[in-house]
Amino acid sequence: MAKTKAKARRRKPNRSLGGDITNIVIVRNPSLENFQDLFILMQQSWVPFSRYILNTVFITAVGTVGHVIVASMAAYVLAKHKFPGRVLFFNIVVLSLMFSYHVTAIPSYLTMSFLGWIDTYYAIIVPQLAYSLGLFLMKQFMEQIPDSLLEAARIDGASEFRVFWQIAMPTVKPAWLTLVIFVFQNLWNTTGGTYIYREELKTLPYALQQILAGGIARAGVAAAVALLMMSVPITLFIITQSNIIQTMTTSGIKE
Amino acid sequence: MNIKSKHRLTLEGKKAITGYMFIAPFLVGLFVFFIYPLIQSIIFSFHDLEVTATGYKLTYAGLNNFRRAFFVDPDFRRILVESITQMITDVPLIVMFSFFAATLLNQEFKGRAFARAVFFLPVILTSGVIVAIENSDMLLNMARSSFEEEATTGAAASVVQALELRRLLMQTRLDPRFIGYITGAIDNIYQVVTASGVQILVFLAGLQTISPSLYEAAIVEGATGWEKFWKITFPMISPLILVNVVYSIIDSFTRPTNQVMQMIMDAAFRQSSYGYSSAIAWVYFIAIMLILGIAVGIISRWVFYQE
Repeated sequence: MAKTKAKARRRKPNRSLGGDITNIVIVRNPSLENFQDLFILMQQSWVPFSRYILNTVFITAVGTVGHVIVASMAAYVLAKHKFPGRVLFFNIVVLSLMFSYHVTAIPSYLTMSFLGWIDTYYAIIVPQLAYSLGLFLMKQFMEQIPDSLLEAARIDGASEFRVFWQIAMPTVKPAWLTLVIFVFQNLWNTTGGTYIYREELKTLPYALQQILAGGIARAGVAAAVALLMMSVPITLFIITQSNIIQTMTTSGIKE
Repeated sequence: MNIKSKHRLTLEGKKAITGYMFIAPFLVGLFVFFIYPLIQSIIFSFHDLEVTATGYKLTYAGLNNFRRAFFVDPDFRRILVESITQMITDVPLIVMFSFFAATLLNQEFKGRAFARAVFFLPVILTSGVIVAIENSDMLLNMARSSFEEEATTGAAASVVQALELRRLLMQTRLDPRFIGYITGAIDNIYQVVTASGVQILVFLAGLQTISPSLYEAAIVEGATGWEKFWKITFPMISPLILVNVVYSIIDSFTRPTNQVMQMIMDAAFRQSSYGYSSAIAWVYFIAIMLILGIAVGIISRWVFYQE
């Protein structure tokens, strides 16, 4: 019964484009041809393909590590230090969350051009360092660290940076591991947009988009590309998520 | 406190200096790459911008751009109101759903990392090159359009479902508006789930920083699961509820599929009237700012910060 049904379906190929779930889930004629095509296309690129990969890996690594440190440092003092202008700074940060980059595209370009950062990695990495969402997130987590924990470290003679690095950061490990995922995701997908014009500085997503520009003939390759692009953030996600264990914000304190 | 601070003036000063040192790298970035372009865009909104061979030329236009937004453009006001109502309905759903999902995903079970990855997938799938691929994927588009066709022709099925639920809720004698909201939420479940990936992760991270010793103490005292949830989990997570409300509001307003955002981009890059685009962007952002201010003001009152 089931077999005849499947046969009937095969005779009507149009049906496979919509609706029927079995046609989507079950793979017919599995092949790695799409991946082979992808590698052939990679070899034909103008600059060696490994250069694109290197660019993206470099931008992502520096940007992610840099942002997590810069934002956490700022968040630490905003949450745990009292100094004049603190509330004002925090409000500015929250306000800046709202402004989508499309709106400031032209002024941003002018700024970059003024700094001479067009066609450099700085144009992509440095704005990412000051990404407000990270600061906002880290600040809310840092607020939860008990003051007495930090006091204890200070009384033992730790410098302010050491308190931050060895007490505050380990206590909010789940927070910055989460932030790593967000920032990684942003940077991994960056195409360089309007700031990068030199071919050897362009990023992996850009190169892959060029491969896709071939249109319908490259639909299979496109799917292979999507799989490769996705697999890295997903792997990172699973690694970081399984590394998160309960950190004890409030433990170690006896009142 | 006053007497203390007089005596400790130097310490306070020292603290302030470390504070500024820690915050300086971030602030420099923020001012150069966000605040300065922002101020530029205010200036643009009062001008007509023309791109010339050497750069751009501004002609002062006064309030014309704003006048055009409110009194000439037939769509702006309607779209603005629509996207605000959309946000007001979506944000509570997203925050509640993500809190619920995070609580579930925080339990100990096999394949937990995998389950979390499934909820985070929409975030990965809807960004960057992958979304471009999806949009250019002919097969997927065909499948999607035929699915939509089915959804419109076969609408009877889904209406029946909503009716069943509505009938059930009606029997509880609840406010019809509330029932409408719930059934609407069920119809929108796909959008709600795809929009809550980031929020789920934030809540998860928050749940993981709650010390187990608090729960242990509660169990020793004989607290029920319900009490543990409301007396420990909820207050401890409340700062992150604020984060997620703010994030959801901003995300709902600034995602590229938002109609006002599309209008802003359209005006800037297709009609190349950058001045007008800046003007509607500013009207829009002032509206967001007001809504955000109200939301933050209400929620901050009961957010619990550990001393």
